[in-house]
Amino acid sequence: MSVRRAAWLLFAAFALTLPFPAVGPFGGFVPAVHHVVLLAATLAVAVAEGAAGPVPRILALFAVHAAVTLALTGLAAWLCARLLASRSPATRRTVVWAVCAALLAVSLAFELYETPFGRAPTANLLGVF
Amino acid sequence: MRVLAAGCVTLIALTTGAVAEQSPLARSEERLPCAHYDPLRRPFFGDTHVHTAFSFDAWGQGTLAGPRDAYRFARGEAIGMQPYDAEGRAQGQIQLRRPLDYAVVTDHSDLLGETQICQNEALPGYDSLVCRVVRHFPKLGYALVNGHVYSSEQPARYSFCGSGGTACLDAGRGPWREIQEAAEAYYDRSSACQLTTFVGYEWTGMPGGDNIHRNVIFRNAVAQAYPTTYIETPTPEGLWHALESECLAAGNGCDVIAIPHNSNVSNGRMFTATRSDGAPLTAADARTRARLETLVEVTQHKGDSECRAGAEDELCGYEKLSIARMMDMAGAGAAPADLPPLVYVREALGFGLVLEQRLGRGANPFRFGLIGATDTHLAAPGMVDEDSFRGHAAGTVSVRWGAPPYPDRPDFNPGGLGVLWAEENSRDALFDAMRRREAYGTSGPRITVRFFGGWTYPENLCGNPNFAAVGYAGGVPMGGELPPAPDMHRAPRLAVWALRDSGGGGAPSAPLQRIQIVKGWVEDGASRERVYEVAGDPASTASVDLATCTPGHGFEQLCRVWTDPDFDASAPAFYYARVVESPSCRWNTWACNAHRVDCRDPASVPRELAACCDASVPKAIQERAWTSPIWYAPAAASATH
Repeated sequence: MSVRRAAWLLFAAFALTLPFPAVGPFGGFVPAVHHVVLLAATLAVAVAEGAAGPVPRILALFAVHAAVTLALTGLAAWLCARLLASRSPATRRTVVWAVCAALLAVSLAFELYETPFGRAPTANLLGVF
Repeated sequence: MRVLAAGCVTLIALTTGAVAEQSPLARSEERLPCAHYDPLRRPFFGDTHVHTAFSFDAWGQGTLAGPRDAYRFARGEAIGMQPYDAEGRAQGQIQLRRPLDYAVVTDHSDLLGETQICQNEALPGYDSLVCRVVRHFPKLGYALVNGHVYSSEQPARYSFCGSGGTACLDAGRGPWREIQEAAEAYYDRSSACQLTTFVGYEWTGMPGGDNIHRNVIFRNAVAQAYPTTYIETPTPEGLWHALESECLAAGNGCDVIAIPHNSNVSNGRMFTATRSDGAPLTAADARTRARLETLVEVTQHKGDSECRAGAEDELCGYEKLSIARMMDMAGAGAAPADLPPLVYVREALGFGLVLEQRLGRGANPFRFGLIGATDTHLAAPGMVDEDSFRGHAAGTVSVRWGAPPYPDRPDFNPGGLGVLWAEENSRDALFDAMRRREAYGTSGPRITVRFFGGWTYPENLCGNPNFAAVGYAGGVPMGGELPPAPDMHRAPRLAVWALRDSGGGGAPSAPLQRIQIVKGWVEDGASRERVYEVAGDPASTASVDLATCTPGHGFEQLCRVWTDPDFDASAPAFYYARVVESPSCRWNTWACNAHRVDCRDPASVPRELAACCDASVPKAIQERAWTSPIWYAPAAASATH
């Protein structure tokens, strides 16, 4: 597995599973991808129906959260990949897949996330989406 | 003539006792006369501002209780509240300690249909993008849809409502019918007269995020065919026109008033000297508003609207929000010093006198009586007790999963009650009280207040068992206008009596501390105000024990016949009484005590209770009541009328 591929895989796993605090009036503790989903849903409604009232501010809030959390997960993934750069491709592959599997397992097994926009106050990974 | 009529009333009361066999009320409906009829009137406690699952924002907060649940709650029955399980069974329960005398379900007229469409898959529009977002991300939907409709200068229906919004308007007819049927089903038309319900709704205008909402209340079962909406009728003038043309002028017995509320977050747009199009208010506009808007909500769940904090009146700091616009509830807003003028009711009362001088006698658009309400979004009218506050689901704190340990925003409160002085507990009697402004508001406690204005009340009236009879016979009650002075050298005499809330049903209560009279008048074309201490102990140092919530000492009742020492017969004026309790625990103190929060050990304080240790949040309050004003108009102005 190449370093670049390792970085991308780790980035995907981190973005999908690592919870980040949401700053602002709504709160929450959700993965970066969830911020992207919220941004996409709001953007879709704004495009289809117009962005009146507080909608632009909500859009801006989600956009900032999505950008910051994706940037942080990207940075974390890049750093991890750099750490693995000196290892053999086989070792890298083993470690990366192990990390991805562990993150997925933990995020599915436990209600790690606080989801103010969801249908329950806390959720595991499936509940988030 | 008014004095004569009041004298006749007094005579009847003295000769027949407090109970008349037959009600002399002019009735607009068929019902049995109330067994208890008092010509000298009694105080009836209730709530004119109640949201149920028919309101989009209440439903968005997980409220499933409907209008019938709200009325069951008002009459003292337990109802369910969030959270609900998969089968729709409520996991929480709420119940009043003391039933109400009256209640009005005032669901938002806007989004009545959309709320139905988004939860009923049989209706077209259920699969729309907006409804999908609402169902999948309820709180996001709540924020987006509220903002889209309520906060827009030019509100519009969503595309799933179809051309002209027909689909949504059609879907709203069912809830509107149910609101009317629920009011009918729970209105006690028997002679017991236990609970009076009214048909009502809330017109939810919030242009640019500035709150200009009105609660519309109908006298009897005859109402508009469809409630007026902000989307189709986006100005107050449009609302008033609709109420006149579709109700008052309909010739079918329809009668209606509208109650503005939350002027504290109106950014100064609730009380303006201009029409919505910017044109100056005309005398006709002012008279229309005065005719339709006889009351204003001085307090409710989302803060106090009486007077501006930081003014000379030290008690104006009570339950103030630090934002100017409703839309800023979700974040930091303007500091109080940045608030525009004419945000608060007292400012409007004074400015109304100024406008009346400019526009002519009777053209005071802000001739408001005062009431309190809750604005509950839990279908829980009158749920005002500080010690059992569960939030009202109207803010940014989510209650979808049940009331959190710290149940609401720190600057919100349980809301207040409206009190109507009426001969009996029937729709006509209570509606007449609202129309003549013989009403007052409380911040929750059931304080009883009488307030009369005249010229010749004896100094010893307070000891007179016929206080009310003499009050009516010699002047006017709260909400009235002083009769002409008998001579040029007299000053108005105001008789005020207050009785503490004795509690009951286990409700905590506190004694009275003092009565104040707030005077506003016009001087050199501008409004002025002054607060007079008239009874009780303004220097009282009694405080509440915050650990046990035991209130300090005070008075069981207070009374005073007060003569205005600064009266200027040439200056229009208003007077209202403010009755203040001794300090008692605020809801947050009850909640934090219940969870045994120890702020000396910050590490032990759970995150959701961190606000318990925020020193900027008041721990105690002084609950209060505000009477409707009594107005004075100079004789010359009266003569020109």
